[in-house]
Amino acid sequence: MQEKLKAITAAAKDAVKAFEDETQIENLRVKYLGKKGELTAILKQMGSLSPEERPKMGQLVNEAKQELEELIAAKKQEIAAKAREIKLKAETVDITMPAKEIKQGKLHPLNTVLDNMINIFQSMGFDVVDGPEVETEHYNFECLNVPADHPARDMQDTFYLADNLLLRTQTSAAQIRTMETRKPPIRVICPGRVFRADEVDATHSPVFHQIEGLVVDKGITMCDLKGVLEQFAHEIYGNDTKVKFRPSFFPFTEPSVEVDVTCSECGGKGCRVCKGSGWIEILGAGMVHPNVLRSCGIDPEEYSGFAFGIGLDRLTTTSYRISDIRLLFENDKRFLEQF
Amino acid sequence: MKISLKALKYYVDINVPVEELCNRMVMAGFEVESIENQGDKLVNVVVARIMEITPHENSDHLQICQMDIGAEEFVQIVTGAQNIKVGDLVPAALNDSYLPCGAHIVNGKLRGVASNGMLCSGEELCLTEEDYEGASVNGILILKGEHKPGTDMREVLGLDDYIIDFKITANRPDCNCFLGVAKEISVVLGTKFTAPKPEYKTVGGNINDYISIEVKNPDLCPRYIGRVVKNLRIKQSPLWMQKAITASGMRPINNIVDITNFVMLETGQPMHAFNYNDLSDKKIIVRNARNGESITTLDGKEYKLSEDMLVIADGEKPSCLAGIMGGKESEIENDTEDLFLESAKFRRDNIRHTGRALGIRTEASGRYERGVDIVNVEYAAERALQLIYELDAGDIIDGAIDCSVGLPEDRIIETTTDKIMELIGVKVPDEKIVSILNSLGLKTDADGNKITCRVPSIRSDIEGRADLAEEVMRIYGYDYIVGTPMRGTVVRGKLLPERIKTDKIKKLLTGAGAYEIATYSFIASKAIDTLKLAEDDERRAQIRILNPLGDEYSTMRTQLTTSMLTVLATNINKKIPDSRFFEISKRFIPKSLPLTEQPYELPTMSIGIYGEDEDFFTLKGIVEAVCKLFGAHTEYERSAEPYLHPGRQALIKANNTEIGTFGEVHPDVAAGYGIDRRVYVAEIKLDLLLAIEKRKVTYKPLPKFPAVERDFAMLVDADLPVGAIERAISSGAGRLLEKIELFDVYTGAQIPEGKKSVAYSVLLRSNDNTLSDKEIEDVNNKIIKKLEKIGAELRK
Repeated sequence: MQEKLKAITAAAKDAVKAFEDETQIENLRVKYLGKKGELTAILKQMGSLSPEERPKMGQLVNEAKQELEELIAAKKQEIAAKAREIKLKAETVDITMPAKEIKQGKLHPLNTVLDNMINIFQSMGFDVVDGPEVETEHYNFECLNVPADHPARDMQDTFYLADNLLLRTQTSAAQIRTMETRKPPIRVICPGRVFRADEVDATHSPVFHQIEGLVVDKGITMCDLKGVLEQFAHEIYGNDTKVKFRPSFFPFTEPSVEVDVTCSECGGKGCRVCKGSGWIEILGAGMVHPNVLRSCGIDPEEYSGFAFGIGLDRLTTTSYRISDIRLLFENDKRFLEQF
Repeated sequence: MKISLKALKYYVDINVPVEELCNRMVMAGFEVESIENQGDKLVNVVVARIMEITPHENSDHLQICQMDIGAEEFVQIVTGAQNIKVGDLVPAALNDSYLPCGAHIVNGKLRGVASNGMLCSGEELCLTEEDYEGASVNGILILKGEHKPGTDMREVLGLDDYIIDFKITANRPDCNCFLGVAKEISVVLGTKFTAPKPEYKTVGGNINDYISIEVKNPDLCPRYIGRVVKNLRIKQSPLWMQKAITASGMRPINNIVDITNFVMLETGQPMHAFNYNDLSDKKIIVRNARNGESITTLDGKEYKLSEDMLVIADGEKPSCLAGIMGGKESEIENDTEDLFLESAKFRRDNIRHTGRALGIRTEASGRYERGVDIVNVEYAAERALQLIYELDAGDIIDGAIDCSVGLPEDRIIETTTDKIMELIGVKVPDEKIVSILNSLGLKTDADGNKITCRVPSIRSDIEGRADLAEEVMRIYGYDYIVGTPMRGTVVRGKLLPERIKTDKIKKLLTGAGAYEIATYSFIASKAIDTLKLAEDDERRAQIRILNPLGDEYSTMRTQLTTSMLTVLATNINKKIPDSRFFEISKRFIPKSLPLTEQPYELPTMSIGIYGEDEDFFTLKGIVEAVCKLFGAHTEYERSAEPYLHPGRQALIKANNTEIGTFGEVHPDVAAGYGIDRRVYVAEIKLDLLLAIEKRKVTYKPLPKFPAVERDFAMLVDADLPVGAIERAISSGAGRLLEKIELFDVYTGAQIPEGKKSVAYSVLLRSNDNTLSDKEIEDVNNKIIKKLEKIGAELRK
């Protein structure tokens, strides 16, 4: 009987090894381990053995049974794993096929740049305020130290809506409204739309945007102005950017400066972008003119301040290398998608 | 202002290369627009003397010349010209030379004979008779006078010069002239500055025997100086003067006119020369024009004058438009015998208004508009007489008539060096401050750190310590300013609530696939007609720009849809298959028309979409999402926007406020924009939407009990809006209603004419218990009752 058991076990093991199909294995299990299986049959024949031999033989048969069960289970697992592997392989996708697009719009590039600037100045403690686009001559000119016959009115060709009403030519008008309603210390920026009667071309637009900055407090100096603009320039153009002041003239600041930064393209060595100078003009600024402070009821002997005006459109076109300002207002979707 | 470097060197020592000069002037506040090298197109062309001429063996017109170019050996050049002889001085382009016409000359052979250069004609040097006498001769340019062979032709032609274009800021009218700029250069470079000292001799006589001057309106003409010069000797002005005038963009005419122009360029003070003999009654009257008067100016144009315009009249009529342009009648011509010379100050706003009104702008009027110095009026007159004397252009009659309101005192600024520098935050030594101010002509005395500064009238831009601070720093150097980080109380920068809310809308819309656009705030006046708005539509109350760039940009918009349709058209024309756009901007609503006060500027949003997957309901989804952002309860009603499809448009009501409309654009209106497909627009008055206060969000417990779903299918009248069915269901379901969903609308086969089949799925749930069969039955019956009330026929 022992011989027979050995023969059956060996045959079963060989069969397990040979078969690669799940049904074959199942048939095999039934053939050996099922109710009418060959090993079960041996168990049934145990009655013919002597009581001494019986437990011994029982143990041998059980061991063989267990061994076979384990073999079959392992084989089954192996087959399943192989099948899964084949299935997964068959499911391989071409990962270079196009994505299922999530349709996502974007802010206009002017506002993308503006939001960035608002974040920078807000983090430096500047409030963001607003002002009307239709202004009076009083706020747009007189309070800004540009009296009626002043040649500086020629610097900006103005759209008039009525005798005393115009489309603001600069966000500086908002300076005045701010100083009239707030007491120092004042720290605000006023982004907004401004208008000048410039014919439309690649670099001029009758509608454009500025960000006006104003700080008024005791003991404010030009060094503070430079410090703030350096912070700003580092955030926008990178930490190595240098800031240079060039004397200039605006009626509402004294001293007035044009502010240049080192060209972000060449780092100041001189290139096509900066026309070889190494510097790019980004804004006008200065110390708030004593007459302007006075017209807003702030004593220039007690307080001083600085103001700056950044051209948002120019900042946008230079930072994205947009060659024609008209593209900003044409709103071609293929343009808007790029930013 | 364009100035010849050579002209500047007449007044100031310039000891640095032109590029360095310009860089340093920029850092002192004088931006340089351009530097033009006069001679950069004429390279390696020298004066040469013809030493020998021999005929060419192989040609009957070519000649072989041996040229002395100041070198050890003669240079052989072959020429075809016939107008030369031995001994002539001519321009010779040597090997590797460039001519103004662009030609590059190198050694070569002409019919087998070596020619090491080229003899040049006037034409080849781009010269006209005006530039050099004899330049138009057919043949080689024969040079006048004596020149050393080898001399650079640029020197001979006065092309060894640079023209620098300085941008003079509006606060520095004193620098619109050679002397002003030269003075600044002398301070910047620390070199010597010399202004000409006018000296001349008169031939005696007494001006009062020749002319009388009366200033009727001293307010508009604070100073008027007149001089008389007899026996004019009109001829060309000297080359140096012509060159200086030409460099500054003016045209030489004759010695008298050139002197007045030169003195204006030199001193900044415009002058005018009258033909004395054309002045009737020998009178000069400075007065306002009379109604109906007119004048023909030097350019031959006739202008009708109004009473607010100032003229220089003789005994009868206006002879000159004060400060702007002279009259044709009293023009200086080649046979003019006697001169009346004017040097005056006119009020700048009057010149500005007259110039604008007549559309004339001249070198003179530009300077008057910026402002001339009352003291300088006299210096300029003296300088002009000096030049007349030196150039022997006429006989100067003794005496001047000077009508003046009086000369201003120097402005005195008393301050301290500390007060000046506290605006800057840089320490500059006291002595340095004082020396800089003095070098700029601001006579400054120091007593310790106290200073007294006397500002002459020519620097009327300097009013106080802030101006002094700028003067000191622009010379001391702005590079000494070192940035300091923000100081003061630490505060958080705040945004306006409106910005916070619109930022949220923008985030939502970009997330919904819409691109933000930016369009002009003004539109064409006719745009409102293209939208077919009714005559009494309030959006027709538009503000017009008085001086627009053209009709296209003439009207402040009262709505954003016009701009949106333009953008949709642009994109459709460019074959972009689908788009979603939005804009948040202002609409301008006048409080009254004509405009007397600032209008309302109200935040407004427009949305525009088109494409295969877009329809009325995709736009409705976007609109609803925006309203939901503010927690608004949104309802829709049929609307009657003339520019929208009559059956596909709706009025949006948020919390019962009408905030806007949306829908499909009427095909006729779309066609007006060249749009040939279905496009959809919404326009929302954001001021109203933003005013809705969003409820504070508090947590609601998640449901604990199961929900029950019931479907209701029914037949209703085809024109019954499903919104009515929804309202019926929701009122029937009461507080058990969780969700209501339309899942089918059908008309056609098996549905009676005039009816439609509608099916809803309704989710019911109680927060307190699992709904019992009885409760479900009750609510079901209630819903059915409500539905029957609106005429629905329930289907099983």
